[in-house]
Amino acid sequence: MAHTNAPTGRSIPLAGRGIRLAFVLPALILLGLFFVLPLISVAREAAAENGAAFGRVLRDPVFWQGVKGSLVLGTLAPAFSVVVGFLVALHLSRLSEGVKALALFAISLPLTFSGLVIAYGFILVFGRSGFVTLLLAKLGADPAVVGGFIFSPVGLGLAYSYYLIPRVVLVMLPVLSNFDRSQIAAARSLGAGNITAHLDVLVPQVMPALITAFCLTSAVAIGAYGTALALVGTQVNILPLVLYSKISDAGSDFPAAAAISLLLMGLCCLVVGVAELFRPRRVV
Amino acid sequence: MSVRFENVSFRYPGGTGGVFDIDLEIATGELLAVIGPSGSGKSTLLKLLSGFAVPDTGRILVDGRDVTRLPPHERALGVVFQSYALFPHMSLWRNVAYPLKVRKIAKKERRARALDALARVGLADFAERAPPSLSGGQQQRVALARALVFSPRALLLDEPLSALDASLRNDLRDEIVRVQRGAGIATLHVTHDQEEALSMGDRVAVMHAGRLVQVAKPRELYDRPLNRTVAAFVGHANLWPGVVEAAGRVGTPLGLLACDTTGFANGAQVTVLARPEAVQPLAELPNASRPNVFYGLVNADRFLGAQRRCDLEVGSGIVRIETTIRTAIHAVSIPPEAIRLLPPDSTASQNPAHTGKPS
Repeated sequence: MAHTNAPTGRSIPLAGRGIRLAFVLPALILLGLFFVLPLISVAREAAAENGAAFGRVLRDPVFWQGVKGSLVLGTLAPAFSVVVGFLVALHLSRLSEGVKALALFAISLPLTFSGLVIAYGFILVFGRSGFVTLLLAKLGADPAVVGGFIFSPVGLGLAYSYYLIPRVVLVMLPVLSNFDRSQIAAARSLGAGNITAHLDVLVPQVMPALITAFCLTSAVAIGAYGTALALVGTQVNILPLVLYSKISDAGSDFPAAAAISLLLMGLCCLVVGVAELFRPRRVV
Repeated sequence: MSVRFENVSFRYPGGTGGVFDIDLEIATGELLAVIGPSGSGKSTLLKLLSGFAVPDTGRILVDGRDVTRLPPHERALGVVFQSYALFPHMSLWRNVAYPLKVRKIAKKERRARALDALARVGLADFAERAPPSLSGGQQQRVALARALVFSPRALLLDEPLSALDASLRNDLRDEIVRVQRGAGIATLHVTHDQEEALSMGDRVAVMHAGRLVQVAKPRELYDRPLNRTVAAFVGHANLWPGVVEAAGRVGTPLGLLACDTTGFANGAQVTVLARPEAVQPLAELPNASRPNVFYGLVNADRFLGAQRRCDLEVGSGIVRIETTIRTAIHAVSIPPEAIRLLPPDSTASQNPAHTGKPS
């Protein structure tokens, strides 16, 4: 009763706690069933044979090529996405609230598609018989070259950017919308050109958010699997595809696959951890 | 280092707002305050001078040089913003040194000049501090130092005190005027605070609906407003509609008023102006016959500390009184010399005595 009579303060009434727990419970059950239990299962699988799978994986040059490929793809595609997403968010931040909401809706749409759907969409548009490829062929462009682009590592990076850019926009837009634009006007009136004013005044203040956006998209790119599989199969060596090769028709080394998945998750956690270090603590 | 607007007009795309036919000159060392209601065009005037908007017609000259089409960073104007617009990621001295940095001045010199500029606004000891750690008044002083450190051709003040507490505002008014006088440059000060404009400006420009209505010295603007719009906007005012019934006699809702009617024909429609502080409150009707004495009933009485503001119902009109007396009020006397007749409401007066040329 003492709790229920507390006039203010941090203590939560017992009934309130019960209600809160009831709201949280479904999420906890889902987390347990679809994350914690599978993770334990994967960890047990990887630890089988006294962890010999880890040794096998770490000695395998294909694994290290996969790490290298993932790091390159996880750096270049996010870097490109951060630049484009930043410019898009900068433009959106200057629009009226209504237009901004509409544009955000359109920009966020790619996030609702699975990686496989996006890959097939790209094939339909940019593939060897794709709409854009055939259109460019009429202008004299070789369909074999244009159509082959999307199946190359660079084309894969571009396809990744399709769903990385919206993530960058979603991270950057609140920060840019809250930025006091009179600082840019002040810098310009004090003698700085438009680009210099943005580089000197805006960029340093939004840098933590830019780093966060980069790390988040990097983690997504490193862990992405469906798009890569549909577009390049196993021609490009990246960790998710190395993992796939261990459990697909071609192979059945489940302990190695489990070890790779743990290492891949560790890598993604590391990148997200870096993002957390730089996360903006206050609104600019 | 003067500023001149020559027949400048600007209309916002897709709207009716803007400024029209602006002819205005600010002399070297002069502080011109611009006041007007919201949407009157005073901020647009500042945008046009600072280069953030380009006139549709006309020219803007700074120090004799046509800057109409120059981008903001090539105009060499110091601007102080309402929100201070300091860079929170730079220390105070780096903020102040920023205009010197973009002008490629060596670090040692720009630090020395920034510290000197900070000393002039009394903040030399805060040089290494970050802007968010300062009070609003201190931040605005830093903004002032930053706007003046590179010896700009003119200074633009965009409602610099409106974000500050009332007590701080008064101190900073004096400080801004002191620093501006020291710099000796033409200054355009946009504000919605008429008291600020009257106390700081060498001249005050009143804008309405995108046009300059009157530009005059503060006392002249207050004592001799050009029309009803200016009289109503600058200070408090009793404004009654009236008709000149004979030489020296005007019919008003209060009754017949004796005043100077020079310049107005019999039958002319006029606006009668009497400042509330010029109206003399009386405890009772005097025995001796005096002009412009009216009996009335107080229907609002506000105690403001040093002053008292009353509304006295007289006939079918209201007389506003501002007085220091605290006793009962039953009548008022309006001295004829305190009454001024204005033409019926019109904002397009082009009396050459009230254009934007400095005297």
